[in-house]
Amino acid sequence: MNIFLKKFGTTLNGRQFGKESFAAFEPSLRDIKKEEKVIVDFDQVVTFTPSWGDEFLGPLLSRFGERLMLKNTENPSVQATLKLLEKIYGKTFINTDNS
Amino acid sequence: MVSKLLTIDQASKILGVSIQTLRRWDDSGRLPSISRKAAGHRHYLKSDIANYINDNSKNLFLFKMARNWATNDPGTEPFSDFYCPDISAFQARLTRLESELGKLKRLNKIFPLISAITGEIGNNSFDHNLGNWPDVLGIFFSWNLAKGIIVLADRGQGILVTLKKIRPKLANHQDALRTAFTEMISGRAPEYRGNGLKFVKDVVSANEISLFFQTGNAQLEIKKNDSDMNIKKTDINLRGCLAAIKF
Repeated sequence: MNIFLKKFGTTLNGRQFGKESFAAFEPSLRDIKKEEKVIVDFDQVVTFTPSWGDEFLGPLLSRFGERLMLKNTENPSVQATLKLLEKIYGKTFINTDNS
Repeated sequence: MVSKLLTIDQASKILGVSIQTLRRWDDSGRLPSISRKAAGHRHYLKSDIANYINDNSKNLFLFKMARNWATNDPGTEPFSDFYCPDISAFQARLTRLESELGKLKRLNKIFPLISAITGEIGNNSFDHNLGNWPDVLGIFFSWNLAKGIIVLADRGQGILVTLKKIRPKLANHQDALRTAFTEMISGRAPEYRGNGLKFVKDVVSANEISLFFQTGNAQLEIKKNDSDMNIKKTDINLRGCLAAIKF
Protein backbone atom coordinates (compact mmCIF):
# COMPACT_ATOMS: atom_id res chain seq x y z
CA MET A 1 0.00 0.00 0.00
CA ASN A 2 1.15 3.53 -0.78
CA ILE A 3 0.29 6.37 1.61
CA PHE A 4 0.63 9.73 -0.11
CA LEU A 5 1.25 12.31 2.59
CA LYS A 6 0.33 15.20 0.28
CA LYS A 7 -3.25 14.01 0.63
CA PHE A 8 -3.11 15.16 4.26
CA GLY A 9 -1.63 18.53 3.30
CA THR A 10 1.78 19.92 2.44
CA THR A 11 2.41 21.62 5.81
CA LEU A 12 2.48 18.67 8.17
CA ASN A 13 2.89 20.16 11.61
CA GLY A 14 1.56 19.67 15.14
CA ARG A 15 0.65 16.71 17.34
CA GLN A 16 -3.08 17.27 17.13
CA PHE A 17 -3.04 17.37 13.34
CA GLY A 18 -0.76 14.32 13.22
CA LYS A 19 -3.04 12.40 15.55
CA GLU A 20 -6.15 13.36 13.58
CA SER A 21 -4.48 12.37 10.32
CA PHE A 22 -3.56 8.93 11.64
CA ALA A 23 -7.01 8.37 13.15
CA ALA A 24 -8.66 9.32 9.86
CA PHE A 25 -6.46 6.97 7.85
CA GLU A 26 -6.41 4.07 10.31
CA PRO A 27 -9.46 2.24 8.84
CA SER A 28 -7.63 1.96 5.49
CA LEU A 29 -4.75 0.16 7.19
CA ARG A 30 -7.05 -2.77 7.96
CA ASP A 31 -7.03 -3.73 4.26
CA ILE A 32 -3.27 -4.33 4.25
CA LYS A 33 -2.33 -7.95 3.73
CA LYS A 34 0.05 -9.87 5.97
CA GLU A 35 3.19 -9.60 3.85
CA GLU A 36 2.34 -6.34 2.10
CA LYS A 37 4.72 -3.38 2.31
CA VAL A 38 3.49 0.00 3.51
CA ILE A 39 5.15 2.80 1.56
CA VAL A 40 4.88 6.36 2.88
CA ASP A 41 5.45 8.80 0.02
CA PHE A 42 6.65 12.33 0.93
CA ASP A 43 6.29 13.69 -2.61
CA GLN A 44 5.29 17.42 -2.60
CA VAL A 45 5.40 17.74 1.20
CA VAL A 46 6.89 21.19 1.98
CA THR A 47 7.08 21.36 5.77
CA PHE A 48 7.41 18.23 7.88
CA THR A 49 7.91 18.38 11.65
CA PRO A 50 8.75 15.86 14.40
CA SER A 51 5.45 16.51 16.23
CA TRP A 52 3.31 15.51 13.22
CA GLY A 53 5.77 12.80 12.19
CA ASP A 54 5.81 11.20 15.64
CA GLU A 55 2.03 10.95 15.73
CA PHE A 56 1.79 9.47 12.23
CA LEU A 57 4.97 7.48 11.59
CA GLY A 58 5.34 6.27 15.21
CA PRO A 59 2.19 4.08 15.17
CA LEU A 60 2.97 2.88 11.62
CA LEU A 61 6.45 1.81 12.64
CA SER A 62 5.30 -0.10 15.70
CA ARG A 63 2.53 -1.77 13.71
CA PHE A 64 4.40 -2.69 10.53
CA GLY A 65 8.07 -2.71 11.60
CA GLU A 66 10.33 -3.50 8.62
CA ARG A 67 7.38 -3.57 6.23
CA LEU A 68 7.21 0.23 6.60
CA MET A 69 9.20 2.00 3.87
CA LEU A 70 9.66 5.66 2.98
CA LYS A 71 9.85 7.30 -0.43
CA ASN A 72 10.77 10.75 -1.83
CA THR A 73 12.39 12.01 1.36
CA GLU A 74 14.71 14.63 -0.19
CA ASN A 75 13.03 17.68 1.40
CA PRO A 76 15.37 19.08 4.12
CA SER A 77 12.63 19.25 6.79
CA VAL A 78 11.75 15.61 6.05
CA GLN A 79 15.42 14.64 6.33
CA ALA A 80 15.93 16.53 9.61
CA THR A 81 12.72 15.15 11.13
CA LEU A 82 13.47 11.54 10.16
CA LYS A 83 16.94 11.87 11.65
CA LEU A 84 15.48 12.96 15.00
CA LEU A 85 12.71 10.34 15.00
CA GLU A 86 15.27 7.61 14.30
CA LYS A 87 17.22 8.80 17.33
CA ILE A 88 14.10 8.75 19.52
CA TYR A 89 12.92 5.34 18.29
CA GLY A 90 16.38 3.80 18.18
CA LYS A 91 15.51 2.45 14.71
CA THR A 92 16.38 3.34 11.14
CA PHE A 93 13.67 3.92 8.56
CA ILE A 94 14.00 1.96 5.34
CA ASN A 95 14.03 4.17 2.29
CA THR A 96 12.81 2.66 -0.98
CA ASP A 97 15.24 4.89 -2.91
CA ASN A 98 18.18 3.14 -1.20
CA SER A 99 16.88 -0.38 -0.98
CA MET B 1 -17.56 47.62 28.38
CA VAL B 2 -14.14 47.31 26.80
CA SER B 3 -12.49 50.71 26.47
CA LYS B 4 -11.70 51.92 22.97
CA LEU B 5 -8.99 54.17 24.38
CA LEU B 6 -5.40 53.38 25.19
CA THR B 7 -3.07 55.38 27.41
CA ILE B 8 0.23 56.47 25.91
CA ASP B 9 1.94 53.86 28.09
CA GLN B 10 -0.27 51.07 26.71
CA ALA B 11 0.21 52.30 23.14
CA SER B 12 4.00 52.41 23.58
CA LYS B 13 4.03 48.81 24.82
CA ILE B 14 1.88 47.58 21.95
CA LEU B 15 4.03 49.32 19.33
CA GLY B 16 7.36 48.56 20.99
CA VAL B 17 8.50 52.20 20.94
CA SER B 18 9.19 54.61 23.81
CA ILE B 19 6.69 57.12 25.20
CA GLN B 20 9.04 59.91 24.06
CA THR B 21 8.86 58.57 20.50
CA LEU B 22 5.07 58.54 20.64
CA ARG B 23 5.04 62.17 21.87
CA ARG B 24 7.30 63.10 18.97
CA TRP B 25 5.07 61.25 16.51
CA ASP B 26 2.03 63.00 17.97
CA ASP B 27 3.61 66.45 17.60
CA SER B 28 4.74 65.73 14.04
CA GLY B 29 1.37 64.23 13.03
CA ARG B 30 2.82 60.80 12.23
CA LEU B 31 0.55 59.14 14.80
CA PRO B 32 -1.79 61.68 16.40
CA SER B 33 -3.33 61.10 19.82
CA ILE B 34 -7.01 61.92 20.10
CA SER B 35 -6.98 64.41 22.90
CA ARG B 36 -5.05 65.92 25.68
CA LYS B 37 -7.11 66.07 28.80
CA ALA B 38 -6.68 68.86 31.34
CA ALA B 39 -3.79 67.01 32.97
CA GLY B 40 -2.05 66.79 29.61
CA HIS B 41 -2.29 63.00 29.16
CA ARG B 42 -2.46 61.74 25.60
CA HIS B 43 -4.81 58.93 24.64
CA TYR B 44 -5.10 56.83 21.50
CA LEU B 45 -8.00 55.14 19.80
CA LYS B 46 -7.39 51.39 19.54
CA SER B 47 -8.49 51.59 15.92
CA ASP B 48 -5.83 54.26 15.21
CA ILE B 49 -3.13 51.99 16.64
CA ALA B 50 -4.48 49.05 14.61
CA ASN B 51 -4.43 51.17 11.44
CA TYR B 52 -0.90 52.33 12.19
CA ILE B 53 0.21 48.71 12.57
CA ASN B 54 -1.45 47.75 9.28
CA ASP B 55 0.05 50.69 7.40
CA ASN B 56 3.56 50.29 8.83
CA SER B 57 3.92 46.54 9.03
CA LYS B 58 7.40 46.63 7.45
CA ASN B 59 8.83 49.04 10.01
CA LEU B 60 7.45 47.58 13.21
CA PHE B 61 9.66 46.38 16.01
CA LEU B 62 8.14 42.92 16.15
CA PHE B 63 10.48 41.55 18.79
CA LYS B 64 9.79 44.39 21.21
CA MET B 65 6.06 44.17 20.51
CA ALA B 66 6.08 40.45 21.29
CA ARG B 67 8.17 40.88 24.42
CA ASN B 68 5.94 43.66 25.69
CA TRP B 69 2.84 41.60 24.99
CA ALA B 70 4.30 38.60 26.85
CA THR B 71 5.31 40.65 29.91
CA ASN B 72 2.45 43.19 30.18
CA ASP B 73 0.33 43.05 33.29
CA PRO B 74 -2.57 42.56 33.02
CA GLY B 75 -2.41 40.56 29.82
CA THR B 76 -4.50 41.51 26.82
CA GLU B 77 -5.09 39.89 23.45
CA PRO B 78 -2.61 41.05 20.79
CA PHE B 79 -3.87 42.76 17.65
CA SER B 80 -5.60 40.26 15.43
CA ASP B 81 -2.91 40.34 12.72
CA PHE B 82 -0.43 38.88 15.21
CA TYR B 83 -2.76 36.66 17.19
CA CYS B 84 -3.31 32.91 16.96
CA PRO B 85 -5.80 32.00 19.70
CA ASP B 86 -5.72 28.30 18.82
CA ILE B 87 -3.67 25.73 16.94
CA SER B 88 -5.90 25.93 13.83
CA ALA B 89 -5.23 29.65 13.49
CA PHE B 90 -1.52 28.97 13.96
CA GLN B 91 -1.55 26.22 11.33
CA ALA B 92 -3.26 28.52 8.82
CA ARG B 93 -0.77 31.33 9.38
CA LEU B 94 2.17 28.90 9.26
CA THR B 95 1.03 27.76 5.83
CA ARG B 96 1.00 31.41 4.72
CA LEU B 97 4.49 31.96 6.14
CA GLU B 98 5.73 28.84 4.35
CA SER B 99 4.40 30.13 1.06
CA GLU B 100 5.99 33.59 1.54
CA LEU B 101 9.32 32.04 2.58
CA GLY B 102 9.24 29.82 -0.50
CA LYS B 103 9.25 32.89 -2.74
CA LEU B 104 12.58 34.16 -1.39
CA LYS B 105 15.43 33.01 -3.61
CA ARG B 106 18.08 33.31 -0.93
CA LEU B 107 16.19 30.80 1.24
CA ASN B 108 15.58 28.37 -1.61
CA LYS B 109 17.31 25.45 0.09
CA ILE B 110 16.38 26.00 3.72
CA PHE B 111 12.90 27.53 3.79
CA PRO B 112 11.19 24.22 4.73
CA LEU B 113 13.53 24.04 7.73
CA ILE B 114 12.65 27.58 8.84
CA SER B 115 8.98 26.78 8.49
CA ALA B 116 9.43 23.50 10.41
CA ILE B 117 11.25 25.04 13.40
CA THR B 118 8.66 27.82 13.53
CA GLY B 119 6.00 25.13 13.58
CA GLU B 120 7.67 23.27 16.43
CA ILE B 121 8.11 26.36 18.59
CA GLY B 122 4.45 27.29 18.09
CA ASN B 123 3.31 23.72 18.72
CA ASN B 124 5.23 23.65 21.95
CA SER B 125 3.25 26.62 23.22
CA PHE B 126 -0.07 24.98 22.45
CA ASP B 127 0.83 21.41 23.44
CA HIS B 128 2.01 22.38 26.91
CA ASN B 129 -0.62 24.97 27.77
CA LEU B 130 -3.86 23.66 26.32
CA GLY B 131 -6.45 23.95 29.10
CA ASN B 132 -3.89 25.56 31.42
CA TRP B 133 -3.30 29.05 30.01
CA PRO B 134 -2.80 31.35 33.03
CA ASP B 135 -4.57 34.31 31.37
CA VAL B 136 -4.57 35.07 27.62
CA LEU B 137 -4.67 31.89 25.57
CA GLY B 138 -2.80 31.42 22.34
CA ILE B 139 0.31 32.97 20.86
CA PHE B 140 1.72 36.11 19.28
CA PHE B 141 3.06 35.13 15.85
CA SER B 142 4.42 37.50 13.25
CA TRP B 143 7.27 37.92 10.78
CA ASN B 144 9.08 40.42 8.64
CA LEU B 145 10.82 38.65 5.79
CA ALA B 146 12.55 41.81 4.54
CA LYS B 147 14.31 41.99 7.89
CA GLY B 148 14.65 38.19 8.09
CA ILE B 149 12.88 37.72 11.41
CA ILE B 150 10.06 35.55 12.76
CA VAL B 151 8.76 36.18 16.28
CA LEU B 152 6.63 33.93 18.50
CA ALA B 153 5.54 34.48 22.10
CA ASP B 154 3.12 33.01 24.61
CA ARG B 155 1.83 33.90 28.07
CA GLY B 156 1.74 30.26 29.11
CA GLN B 157 3.20 28.46 32.09
CA GLY B 158 6.78 28.44 30.81
CA ILE B 159 9.13 25.53 30.30
CA LEU B 160 10.14 25.05 33.97
CA VAL B 161 6.56 24.44 35.12
CA THR B 162 5.66 22.05 32.30
CA LEU B 163 8.98 20.17 32.30
CA LYS B 164 8.87 19.69 36.09
CA LYS B 165 6.05 17.19 35.55
CA ILE B 166 8.59 14.74 34.16
CA ARG B 167 11.78 16.19 35.68
CA PRO B 168 10.70 17.11 39.25
CA LYS B 169 14.25 17.93 40.35
CA LEU B 170 14.68 20.82 37.92
CA ALA B 171 15.59 23.80 40.10
CA ASN B 172 15.53 26.86 37.84
CA HIS B 173 14.71 28.27 34.41
CA GLN B 174 18.28 27.92 33.16
CA ASP B 175 18.31 24.17 33.84
CA ALA B 176 14.84 23.78 32.35
CA LEU B 177 15.86 25.60 29.18
CA ARG B 178 19.01 23.48 28.81
CA THR B 179 17.04 20.27 29.35
CA ALA B 180 14.35 21.25 26.86
CA PHE B 181 16.89 22.00 24.14
CA THR B 182 19.34 19.15 24.73
CA GLU B 183 17.94 16.11 26.54
CA MET B 184 16.20 13.49 24.47
CA ILE B 185 13.03 12.59 26.33
CA SER B 186 11.55 9.33 25.15
CA GLY B 187 9.27 8.43 28.07
CA ARG B 188 5.92 10.10 27.56
CA ALA B 189 4.06 9.60 30.83
CA PRO B 190 2.64 11.56 32.53
CA GLU B 191 2.26 13.91 29.56
CA TYR B 192 3.06 13.90 25.88
CA ARG B 193 6.40 15.55 25.53
CA GLY B 194 7.81 16.17 22.13
CA ASN B 195 11.40 16.67 21.28
CA GLY B 196 10.58 19.69 19.19
CA LEU B 197 13.09 22.05 20.78
CA LYS B 198 15.91 19.52 20.26
CA PHE B 199 14.90 19.53 16.60
CA VAL B 200 15.03 23.33 16.59
CA LYS B 201 18.55 23.30 18.06
CA ASP B 202 19.80 20.69 15.57
CA VAL B 203 18.39 22.60 12.60
CA VAL B 204 19.66 26.02 13.72
CA SER B 205 23.19 24.82 14.50
CA ALA B 206 23.46 23.19 11.06
CA ASN B 207 22.16 26.10 8.96
CA GLU B 208 22.43 29.86 8.41
CA ILE B 209 19.76 30.54 11.02
CA SER B 210 20.00 32.01 14.52
CA LEU B 211 17.64 31.67 17.45
CA PHE B 212 16.87 33.69 20.55
CA PHE B 213 14.66 31.98 23.13
CA GLN B 214 13.56 33.09 26.58
CA THR B 215 11.46 31.46 29.31
CA GLY B 216 11.30 32.72 32.89
CA ASN B 217 14.53 34.57 33.59
CA ALA B 218 16.62 32.36 31.30
CA GLN B 219 17.53 33.12 27.71
CA LEU B 220 19.63 31.41 25.10
CA GLU B 221 21.09 32.19 21.73
CA ILE B 222 22.10 29.59 19.14
CA LYS B 223 23.60 30.06 15.72
CA LYS B 224 25.29 27.98 13.04
CA ASN B 225 28.07 25.65 14.22
CA ASP B 226 27.36 26.32 17.91
CA SER B 227 28.07 23.15 19.83
CA ASP B 228 27.08 24.69 23.15
CA MET B 229 24.23 27.01 24.00
CA ASN B 230 24.81 30.39 25.48
CA ILE B 231 22.31 30.37 28.38
CA LYS B 232 22.11 33.51 30.52
CA LYS B 233 20.11 34.70 33.47
CA THR B 234 18.22 37.92 32.71
CA ASP B 235 16.66 40.72 34.77
CA ILE B 236 13.39 40.64 32.86
CA ASN B 237 11.22 37.74 33.95
CA LEU B 238 8.78 36.31 31.45
CA ARG B 239 6.34 33.63 32.57
CA GLY B 240 5.77 32.05 29.16
CA CYS B 241 8.11 31.82 26.17
CA LEU B 242 9.52 34.29 23.65
CA ALA B 243 11.38 33.28 20.49
CA ALA B 244 12.99 35.10 17.58
CA ILE B 245 14.25 33.21 14.53
CA LYS B 246 16.61 35.18 12.28
CA PHE B 247 17.88 34.21 8.84
